[in-house]
Amino acid sequence: MSTTVETGGREVPLAMLRDGETGIVVSVKSGYGGAWGLKKRLMDMGITPGTRITVVKSAPFHGPMEILVRGYRLAIGRGMAERIFVRVEETQAGCRES
Amino acid sequence: MNGRRLVIALAGNANVGKSVIFNYLTRLHQHIGNWPGKTVEKAEGTLHFKGYTIDVVDLPGIYSLSTYSIEESISRRFIAVDKPDVVINVIDASVLERNLFFTLQLMELETPMVIALNQMDVASRKGIQIDVEKLEEILGVPVVPTIAVKGVGIFKLLEKAVEIFEGKLSAKPKPVKYGEEVEQRIERIAEAVRDSGLPYPARYVAIKLLEGDREIQEEVEKADPQAAALARRLGEELEKLHGHSCPTLITSERYQAANCIAREVQRLIPPVKPTLGEKLHNVTTHRVAGYLVMAATLLSMFLFVFAVGNILSEFLSSLLYGLKPFFEGFFGTGFLAQLFWGGVVEGLIAGATIALPYVIPFYLVLYFLEDSGYLSRIAFLMDSIMHRMGLHGKAFIPLLLGYGCNVPACLGCRIMETQRERLIAAFVTTLVPCAARTVIILGLVGRFIGIQWALVLYVFDLLIIFLLGRLAFKILPGEPTGLIMEMPDYRLPHLRTVLSQTWFRLLEFLKIAFPLIIVSTLTVKLLEALGMLSFFTSLLAPVTVGWLGLPVETGVTLLFGVLRKELALIMLTTLLGTTDLSQALTPVQMTVFTIVSMFYIPCVATIATLVMEFGWRKALVITVSEVFLALVLGGLALRILVLTGLR
Ligand SMILES: Nc1nc2c(ncn2[C@@H]2O[C@H](COP(=O)(O)OP(=O)(O)OP(=O)(O)O)[C@@H](O)[C@H]2O)c(=O)[nH]1
Ligand SMILES: [Mg+2]
Repeated sequence: MSTTVETGGREVPLAMLRDGETGIVVSVKSGYGGAWGLKKRLMDMGITPGTRITVVKSAPFHGPMEILVRGYRLAIGRGMAERIFVRVEETQAGCRES
Repeated sequence: MNGRRLVIALAGNANVGKSVIFNYLTRLHQHIGNWPGKTVEKAEGTLHFKGYTIDVVDLPGIYSLSTYSIEESISRRFIAVDKPDVVINVIDASVLERNLFFTLQLMELETPMVIALNQMDVASRKGIQIDVEKLEEILGVPVVPTIAVKGVGIFKLLEKAVEIFEGKLSAKPKPVKYGEEVEQRIERIAEAVRDSGLPYPARYVAIKLLEGDREIQEEVEKADPQAAALARRLGEELEKLHGHSCPTLITSERYQAANCIAREVQRLIPPVKPTLGEKLHNVTTHRVAGYLVMAATLLSMFLFVFAVGNILSEFLSSLLYGLKPFFEGFFGTGFLAQLFWGGVVEGLIAGATIALPYVIPFYLVLYFLEDSGYLSRIAFLMDSIMHRMGLHGKAFIPLLLGYGCNVPACLGCRIMETQRERLIAAFVTTLVPCAARTVIILGLVGRFIGIQWALVLYVFDLLIIFLLGRLAFKILPGEPTGLIMEMPDYRLPHLRTVLSQTWFRLLEFLKIAFPLIIVSTLTVKLLEALGMLSFFTSLLAPVTVGWLGLPVETGVTLLFGVLRKELALIMLTTLLGTTDLSQALTPVQMTVFTIVSMFYIPCVATIATLVMEFGWRKALVITVSEVFLALVLGGLALRILVLTGLR
């Protein structure tokens, strides 16, 4: 994937973050046909608006992502990560080479 | 002894140590391992304490009282509907915040409870210090620090639970206060549902209604449609006010509360160097190295089982068959003595020399891997491949456990979220060669043809699983649910846990397998003595001899193999009168026989499990299609092997 993550306060799906980047959850979209359960599940696991998430790594072949959230390690499928919208942290962004 | 009874349930997030505490209290042997989702059915045990007969109930792990998969609703129903007298809420001190999120919900349910602040050793290793008294004070619930694997704090925990029950402890849980606007509306809904006769506290019902809980919504709709309408209306108001959906609002605020509590009671001094566990984690989930490590691990696992199995097998056979002269010296060589030797003793010896040697090292390795935490890493790596079968990575865990035994593995498929996924996962799980089939693969092909060919069979099996999994996905289409799985930290496997799990699995194996071995071999020997065996074998001959090119005796042994797969091999040795099967079977016959045994039918216990989980119709479809599969594969294998010039 060749996506450049815009940090100017724009919201991006978590799936677009690169390894090591951190974002603050803005919203979680519900699933196909309003599959409410999955959204609630993500939130019950601690992914609520305002939560800080760090992407640790992504598995190859469009595989899942490993994230750090609320002090523990969670694996979430790529499809899930596409529904979690985050704002990339400014401070993090400042530290990265431009 | 008075008859005072007390029901205590163990509840909490997955993988926090509930089953360890349960086993400690009841001396039972619930499945323990380091990955989330092992306990999928509630388990009960009793214990006597301070004049009480206490029923302890171990529940599947849950992250929230809003539930998704079967095993989670079992927990919720038990806590909210069956209402144990006391709930012991087991929480993982090293992941305090997420665990408290669930604790806060239990408090909303107003369940009498005690908190077991477990894994204190892990927490302190991670540099987390927790002010227990402060936590107790904030929550208004007794908190007992524990280290379950060492039994630390468990006695005190039980004492507190009983005191809560007796009302000696004046616990006053202080549940979450939501934001002003939310609180007002909770109050109003609670007022409205107070007299609707639902078996839950009014405030809990109000919160769950706003949280969008389907089950509660339906119950309220039935009991008091007006209250349900009010809740909907107030929920919409809140959504307008905050711009977030109501469930989001409630969940966020509850997490916020958990976060505040966690921050207030814990001090974090993270270790400077990355721990060994973290380094291991990075390697084993690496995009390249991860797969190499996985392949190497599985390969060395099989080589280990094979090597140890062979040594044990040889040792045991020379030991046990050496008994024959003594036996004959004692019982003579008359008809009954021969029947006894051939039907009972030889069956037992065959069981001991063929099955046990491979089963023991196999379970040891499997439980070692399970307790280390490696399985969830494999699930992570395998997620994208599992998606091709309409599943997600977590399904790979029951699949792996299937190598031990298909029965718990099929039950374990409950961790999958939808019925469709459960069915596909259970179907492919029945194709995994369990320990019994490993006995045949390693004991026949591995031993007499070569370990590399046994390995080829395992790989072939994986290929078939993948292809049939895809086929099942085509037949049962649907969007695979995404993976959401906690990856717990690596941990040095707890030796006693590994040994005791192996030991009890082995006992189970002995208890079920050996009586069956005796009865089956005795039956066959009797039939043989009465001259009726050839009748049965000749009935099956067109298939076994004609299509599969196997010796005629295999017909009966394969039939008995339905009871337990390794019987197919054990009985073959008793029927052919030798454990050196290379004298009785050609390599091609061994391969065909092994392929057929791998696939031809799930064993009786597995079929029963399938019936229980999916109904007899689906169980029948799976069973019949696997019989056909085995016959097709076996017949094809024979013809291809013969074509390539092998004999
Ligand atoms: N170091 C340490 N390990 C623990 C402690 N308690 C439990 N464990 C380990 O944690 C893992 C999970 O324990 P279980 O009892 O199987 O967890 P559970 O809560 O029953 O999990 P599920 O049934 O999957 O919900 C096992 O590997 C245990 O050995 C503890 O106090 N200290
Ligand atoms: Mg358990």
